[in-house]
Amino acid sequence: MSAVSHRTRLTVVPSYRIAVGRGLSILAALSVVAITLAAMGRSPIELAALVVRSTVGSRFGIEDLALFMTPLMLTGAAVWVGIRVNLWNIGAEGQLYAGATAATAIGLFTHWPALVALPAMIVAGMLAGAAWIFVPAAARAWLGVSEIVTSLLLNFVASLLVYYLATGPWADRVTGALASTERLHMAFPELWGAVHLGFILALATVIGLGIGLAKSRFGYETAVCGSNPQAAHYAGIGVAPRILAVLLLSGALAGLAGVFEVAGTVHRLQGGLANNYGYLGIVVALLARGSCLALIPAALLMALILDTGIVLQTTQISSSAVLAITGLLVLAIAAGDELAAYVRVNRT
Amino acid sequence: MALLSDLLGHAVLSGSVLALGALGEVIAERAGVLDLGVEGLMSLGAVVAVMTVTATPHPWLGLLAAGLVGGLGAGVLALSSVVLRANQVLCGVAITFLGLGLSSVIGRSVAGIPVSAVFEPVSIPVLSSIPVIGPAFFSQNVLVYLIYLVLPALVHFWMFRTRSGLDLRAVGENPAAADAVGVPVMKLRAVAVILGGVLAGLAGADLTLAVVPVWSDGMIAGRGWIAVALVIFAGYRPVVAVLSGLLFGLVTAIGFMGQARGWPVAPAILNTLPYLGTVACIIVPMLAFAKLRSAMAAPAALGTPYYRSGR
Repeated sequence: MSAVSHRTRLTVVPSYRIAVGRGLSILAALSVVAITLAAMGRSPIELAALVVRSTVGSRFGIEDLALFMTPLMLTGAAVWVGIRVNLWNIGAEGQLYAGATAATAIGLFTHWPALVALPAMIVAGMLAGAAWIFVPAAARAWLGVSEIVTSLLLNFVASLLVYYLATGPWADRVTGALASTERLHMAFPELWGAVHLGFILALATVIGLGIGLAKSRFGYETAVCGSNPQAAHYAGIGVAPRILAVLLLSGALAGLAGVFEVAGTVHRLQGGLANNYGYLGIVVALLARGSCLALIPAALLMALILDTGIVLQTTQISSSAVLAITGLLVLAIAAGDELAAYVRVNRT
Repeated sequence: MALLSDLLGHAVLSGSVLALGALGEVIAERAGVLDLGVEGLMSLGAVVAVMTVTATPHPWLGLLAAGLVGGLGAGVLALSSVVLRANQVLCGVAITFLGLGLSSVIGRSVAGIPVSAVFEPVSIPVLSSIPVIGPAFFSQNVLVYLIYLVLPALVHFWMFRTRSGLDLRAVGENPAAADAVGVPVMKLRAVAVILGGVLAGLAGADLTLAVVPVWSDGMIAGRGWIAVALVIFAGYRPVVAVLSGLLFGLVTAIGFMGQARGWPVAPAILNTLPYLGTVACIIVPMLAFAKLRSAMAAPAALGTPYYRSGR
């Protein structure tokens, strides 16, 4: 079996290999989509031109991109802080709902001036997001119960509760809109078209998080806990409290996404508000790999895909097709990243 | 009495979907692969079963097609997460996206139309006339008997009484040691993932051909994820996984009955019961019995891809 040349797996993969691997895998996934569309009797080239025209080619398209990016950067960051220490928060969707619900409570039932209400919404939303993941986080930290499934199951609970609130006690009795609350009394100020302050704050959060985790003691200790819990334990770092802290931070970030979504973009709490942002955060975090700042371009790419979905819907291609395309892309990228780690080595 | 019997009957029926999904997941996880694609594969199985039955009115053909499509989808998962060794969590979530999206696209033509051929209840003589439990357990469709009696016994026997079952568990506990004695790690893992996918597809067919005889978008509603959670709850044991499916069928049935009888609780709140119940059931036993933590522990190599050079 001793071949002259064989393949070996790199532990640290240079970024150019990742870039090539990803480029190829995205290309492969898009070709599958193009072939499927062609088989359905649609012209992939015409559709692609339409997509480019109505996303990056127009002002509305660019505004939409920024609006999509706002929650994606934050849910991406929420998942990313977990993955960094080997924890998988699949429940960002539920924490987003929790944050949105807390912000809605302030927006509906207080008449505070915006200068007080908006920061209060941010704080309440982050606390609600952290509270929503508290039980899975504590169970993971001290009992070793996998956080993947517990955090995920709470998504269904959150979405049902939001639906209940929006159709029941908090239902809009003014305009009679279906499954939605009244418009909130205050909103994050719009800066450029429909793009609101939340976009800037989300950007700042991601940048701050990247710097904070890279430079702080907390960032270092949690990184040790993630890569080798035993070593961390012997070094005197309490692993369980750090696991709890990281997951609570993760929940708070997802909650913040909910605050901006409800008080900046949608202005009403409604069923389906989370729009899969929580699950797509996993994709964003994967795309960003080890770098927090890379969450920004990753969120941009995901926003482009979502925006493409909206455009395709106008041509009678359903939103569920977009979900399938996203799945295909994730699969291709996950495989591409792994394949990029293999290099051919010549044995002498 | 009739009420209790109805409740149990509904529990058995709706629990069968969870039991079958969980059984498939036990096989995959025992081989060391965390298969998070169940939700998507169940959805594909459910819609393909309905489409097949719409074309040819034979429920068994629908079941077969659902199993095939589940196996095919799991083949993609096996290729990416076992053969290419890409991250198992991501591949699983991707398969779930793909499955949910695809099933909604291809199922548009049959959405909302009642399924023409379903598995009808078969009463077992004598046993079905026992009060209360007779109608609940022995007047069910044939899938229920298969899922609760035949399949768990088969899987249990295979996993704990045969050589290949031992190999399967070895691959999940310590793939390097298994590899050293000549067990084909990758092949066994791939087979386990595909088998798990077949069962997930069948679980989808069970849902649309026996439990809720109609396809509607989003009808899986987390059943696949609950099945994944049940595996943890069951301590990775096939028979216990099937029984816990029944237990969770009961939780679902209680919520369902609450709606039907007009309890003064909003339906949305009652619908949260299965999810909250699952979370409670995987956390509370661990909290209460410290000893359980090692007895119910996951296979040691669960979730980690195997690299021969990293041995």
